[in-house]
Amino acid sequence: MIKLKNITKIYQMNKNDKVIALNNINLHFKEGELIVLKGSSGSGKSTILSLIAALSKPTSGEVIVDEKRISKLPDNFAALYRRENIGFVFQKYNLIPTLSVKDNIIQPLIPANPPEDELKVKLDNVMKRFSIEHKKDLIVRNLSGGEQQRVAIARAHINNPKIIIADEPTANLDEKLSLDFIKILKQLKESNKTIIVATHDPLFFDLDFVDKVIEIYNGNIVE
Amino acid sequence: MLSKINLYLVQYAIGSILRAKYKSLFITIIFTFLTFLLTSIFFISNSIKYELNSTVESLPQIIVQKIKAGRQYDIEVNNIEQILELNGVVDAVARVWGYYYFENAGVNFSIVGLNQYETQYKKSFTNIVEKFNLDKLSKNPSMVVGQGVYKVLNDNYYTKYFNFIKPDGTFKQVDIAGIFDSNIQLESNDVIVLQQDIARQIMGMREDMATDIVVKVANPKEILMIASKIKLMFPDTRVITNEDLKVSYDNIFDYKSGIFLALFIISLFTFFIIIYDKSSGLSSEEKREIGILKAVGWTVDDILKEKFYEAFIISFIAYLLGVILAFTFVYIFQAPILRDIFVGYSQLKTTFELPFIFDIQTLFLVFFLSVPIYIAATIIPSWKSATIETDEAIR
Repeated sequence: MIKLKNITKIYQMNKNDKVIALNNINLHFKEGELIVLKGSSGSGKSTILSLIAALSKPTSGEVIVDEKRISKLPDNFAALYRRENIGFVFQKYNLIPTLSVKDNIIQPLIPANPPEDELKVKLDNVMKRFSIEHKKDLIVRNLSGGEQQRVAIARAHINNPKIIIADEPTANLDEKLSLDFIKILKQLKESNKTIIVATHDPLFFDLDFVDKVIEIYNGNIVE
Repeated sequence: MLSKINLYLVQYAIGSILRAKYKSLFITIIFTFLTFLLTSIFFISNSIKYELNSTVESLPQIIVQKIKAGRQYDIEVNNIEQILELNGVVDAVARVWGYYYFENAGVNFSIVGLNQYETQYKKSFTNIVEKFNLDKLSKNPSMVVGQGVYKVLNDNYYTKYFNFIKPDGTFKQVDIAGIFDSNIQLESNDVIVLQQDIARQIMGMREDMATDIVVKVANPKEILMIASKIKLMFPDTRVITNEDLKVSYDNIFDYKSGIFLALFIISLFTFFIIIYDKSSGLSSEEKREIGILKAVGWTVDDILKEKFYEAFIISFIAYLLGVILAFTFVYIFQAPILRDIFVGYSQLKTTFELPFIFDIQTLFLVFFLSVPIYIAATIIPSWKSATIETDEAIR
């Protein structure tokens, strides 16, 4: 389903300074798998997620999702691809802090201009599923870290995407909330989503429902 | 058309405006003020231009003045007989008019002497003689005054009559018999209309003399020709055509236009400073929000549409408020302060009314000078932020 072929990603910091984030890596994920990318900060895990979500383009190589070369997509097509296929839970959630819970969650639906009833049904479903319906009118910046994460997960899920990506999902959570997140992850896995989690939290490495743990170090895959 | 508009984007835009309420309010206030100033200047300018144009249209075709040693003197009324004999001349009327300096108020009144049964050389005077019987006025010396004159006299406790001081130092008491409407004629505000003989007494003029003679010709193309014939007939006169007067009025308005232009440039300059400030970039929070929206599937088009709605709502509301305020300020409150800059040559600065002129072009001009420029200044930096790599924008 997802193939990364000979991917190299170089960040050009200035004229003479560049950082090789990924160095000619190859990966292959099947539909419905839950993959954990582990590694220290700056190892290149987040860059892999960003390339799969078409948030950035590789310096060389190809990202292929469902036989489509998404690494070559023009900006507007990349946005459409994300809207239809990707649910991204960012490390710092990337919510709009001054918007309410429901307004944050419906953001991926807005460009498609769905009928109001359809939007309401989808919104109610995800809010129920992730237990935040009682907070729907609250402003996001007033929520706890765990609640913000639920909002981020609900937003990632509202379009019912095939692929869920989570970048350091437990980095800002205590142990109890981390375990709550793992429960949600299991639910998502059971609904046959392809899930890719980048983390250095050991909590994820021995989970029985994780299909693959891939270690990244300095932009390379550790065999 | 309406079904193509994504109302969620419009709602999002309204939400964005409300979220940044202090910033939005500040921009709206500044924008409203500048639109108000620009529109007010245009409204005042249009009204005055209309006023002057109507004045110019009502000017006599030819004026004949007696000149001695380069100065104007009273002219003999019997010259009219010879002028009327010229081919193409329809009418010639002796005018009795002048200025009276009212020292207490430091203003000049325009004195106009009319004869009830003569053809009047101005439509406004025809209206006055139809409304007020000047012959009746003359039995008990009285006058009809413009609103400006009436207010000045009232302010100086002359509520029923006024004592003119004649050139020989004696007084002439004249009752105030009526006030004529001055909402159309800019020039009529400072006018006092009396029976011709009383006007002559006040100005110390002989009965067989007049201030000047106005001539009406049948064919406007013949004006110059007839003017030159009159000049040949009376070498001691100055013959002025309405074209000469138009040039004179235009010069006055050009001077006013200079002030108008200065205010206009200041307004535009301030507006462009705001625009420059806005287009010079978005805050890091705004850039991040654009990045987040792109990350969740918004295209660059979606983001630009939302920013368009945001800018349009703010600028259009400010434009409407500015126009409404300008309308109220100019046509209801008669443009205090600003009016004094534009009106005031030899006129009393009292009750002159700016006539309402609806000019759709002015509204369009102000719209196109403000709203699209503001929208562009909002969209361009948003477009710059929306086209950088999404990953970089949210990092």
